[in-house]
Amino acid sequence: MRSLIFLFFTFFALPLYAQDIHLGLLRLQNDPRFDEDFTYARIELRAQGDVLAAIEMAINDMKVITDARGLSVVLSEAKVAADGLIQAAQNMLALGVTHLIMDLPGDEVDTMATSLAGSNVVLLNTTAPEDWLRSKCHPNLLHTAAGDRMIADALVQHAMFHKWRDLLVLRGKTDRDNLRADSFVQAAERFRLRIVDDREFDLSTNPALREQNNISLITGGRRDYDAVYIADEIGEFARYVPYQVARPRPVIGATGLVAAEWHWALERYGAPQVNSRFERLSTGNRRMSWQDWSAWMATRAVLTAFTKSPDPAMEAVNAYLRSDRLRLDGSKGKQMNFRPWSGQLRMPILLATHNAIIEIAPLEGFLHQINSLDTLGYDEKEFICDE
Amino acid sequence: MRTVDWQAILWFARNMRKILILISAFALLASPVLARDTGRIFVSNEKSHDIHVFDAEYNLIKKIATSRRPRDMKLNAARTLLFVACGDDDIIDIIDVETLEVVDGIPTGPSPEVFEFSLDERYMYVSNEEDSMMEIIDLESRITIHNVPTGAEPEGLALAPEGDVIYVTSEVADMVHVVDAAAGVVTDNIIVGTRPRRFVITPDTNELWVSAELSSEIYVIDRASNEVTSVLEFLPPGFRPEDVTPVGMTLTRDGSVGLISLGRANHVAVIDAHSKEILAYVLVGRRAWSVALSRDEKTAVVANGLSDDITLIDMETYRPIRSIPVGRVPHTVVIDD
Repeated sequence: MRSLIFLFFTFFALPLYAQDIHLGLLRLQNDPRFDEDFTYARIELRAQGDVLAAIEMAINDMKVITDARGLSVVLSEAKVAADGLIQAAQNMLALGVTHLIMDLPGDEVDTMATSLAGSNVVLLNTTAPEDWLRSKCHPNLLHTAAGDRMIADALVQHAMFHKWRDLLVLRGKTDRDNLRADSFVQAAERFRLRIVDDREFDLSTNPALREQNNISLITGGRRDYDAVYIADEIGEFARYVPYQVARPRPVIGATGLVAAEWHWALERYGAPQVNSRFERLSTGNRRMSWQDWSAWMATRAVLTAFTKSPDPAMEAVNAYLRSDRLRLDGSKGKQMNFRPWSGQLRMPILLATHNAIIEIAPLEGFLHQINSLDTLGYDEKEFICDE
Repeated sequence: MRTVDWQAILWFARNMRKILILISAFALLASPVLARDTGRIFVSNEKSHDIHVFDAEYNLIKKIATSRRPRDMKLNAARTLLFVACGDDDIIDIIDVETLEVVDGIPTGPSPEVFEFSLDERYMYVSNEEDSMMEIIDLESRITIHNVPTGAEPEGLALAPEGDVIYVTSEVADMVHVVDAAAGVVTDNIIVGTRPRRFVITPDTNELWVSAELSSEIYVIDRASNEVTSVLEFLPPGFRPEDVTPVGMTLTRDGSVGLISLGRANHVAVIDAHSKEILAYVLVGRRAWSVALSRDEKTAVVANGLSDDITLIDMETYRPIRSIPVGRVPHTVVIDD
């Protein structure tokens, strides 16, 4: 094996040193998902800030172990417009980047995975939750953002646990809202929860649309329900719904009880240390968002594979990264690794209010024949790759 | 005569309570050095910021309010003082074991979690979870004489029986640092499993055991070569491998039997410390953590972090005896006997 690696290096004369780990980070300039114009009156509806801080934190966290292994980590990063992404990625590959972390919307991730299919680079999706992206089964793509269905399953487990059997669904008009709401409906139906109605809301004050924009009316009607689920990516509508629901019922989904990869209020499993390290390192000492956590995890996964793989050859490192021998700690109390069928990181999902962790899914009693984390999201048997 | 007898008996019966109290009060006064070998059990509670003290019969005798977030505890060699690392107030509280009062405190770096004394008790070695340092504090001057940088979130800490080497885990970097105690520098790094937590050194001083919480393993390290010689795994009946999150460990004085708490698998594993064979799994409370043995080694006490109680284990039958409620999120158990 040793001679084989030697041959590999002499023949191909790679432009990087054997002991370097070269990571890349790509973000979108003016990413619409972080558009501040949506945050009317300077109220922050969604996480702002750069995941770069999280990646640097992960490199820093792992420095002792990479140093001990004689590995040095190099990070190349770029923030470019959508039409310059592929060029930027190719520039990084030319520099020797072997693992490329992406903070990009789903469509861009898909394009990147397709156009870089010929290279050996491993791509890590940190912020696109779309399940159709997982179903594309790009062999070069791993996901550390939770899929929409994982988020939906976490909420449905909570609804089941509390016997909220009848649910009212409110959804926005955007594609993202429809994907979120559809995956929630699917997850709810699997557990035989009843969707009493599925209504589209409108942000205007147009009196002709009052059935859609008046909260009393959109949550009214003759049929009772146990909880209101809202799919609202921007959050502009959702934030007005609690305390105005026509019946006194809890609100979940986009506000109230929210499911996500990470929340600053997690108090167990070493999470307070992760949060305070992040707050210290990030510009503006901001709180760690789920996007930051996913980027932190992606970096840690790659660095862990490099340091723990018994064989330092790149193929062996990448095989280790995808294997169940990878036992990642994401400070959520469970070991994590990637699902071989979808490249999705299996993980616990936090169910949080604005300042408390109510539950961590999978909830007690939701069991699985192999790994209880696979009760969240598409399991092997229901997962189908697109042709 | 008969009537006098009756009166005396009646008087005793009526005043039995008072007499008993008087007798016990005299007994207390007559034996002021109760502290040593009291059999008292101390349990630190992270979230209720106190220490519950039980007598040898497991009756709660006091709740000592401490600084915020008390975690690791150690008695000094004379067993007169109990030191308590209080993570949220960056201090190690000192409790007088006789009076059960906080009498003093040693300021530390941010978030002290686990600590050890040097053999001569001149120095204290403390892992500071928040700033990734192991600090060496001179106990007389109370000055930090060394700050040894470690991987992120250092936790477990063990002093070699020879006193010259300190072992520290880094929970995030998955490694054990070997620190030269005199020079205050890392001399070696040993890569172990995911989220390494605590240590135990076998009485024959040859082996260092490390619990890796999130890869569900115990790493056995040969102390002469600093090489991992074996990796132990556990699986109590009815649990998944990923439920097994080992943290606390203890060994009998003769080094024959080891106790390992399995965290979310809600069991303690009892193993033959030489052959590493599993002797029993004992069902305890939720998220079993710190585990301690009484000096006669007849009873083990386990702190259960998620059910806020301690479980007593009979070491002859390896069966749980009973569980006793304590404060919120019990962390460490120390038995003074």
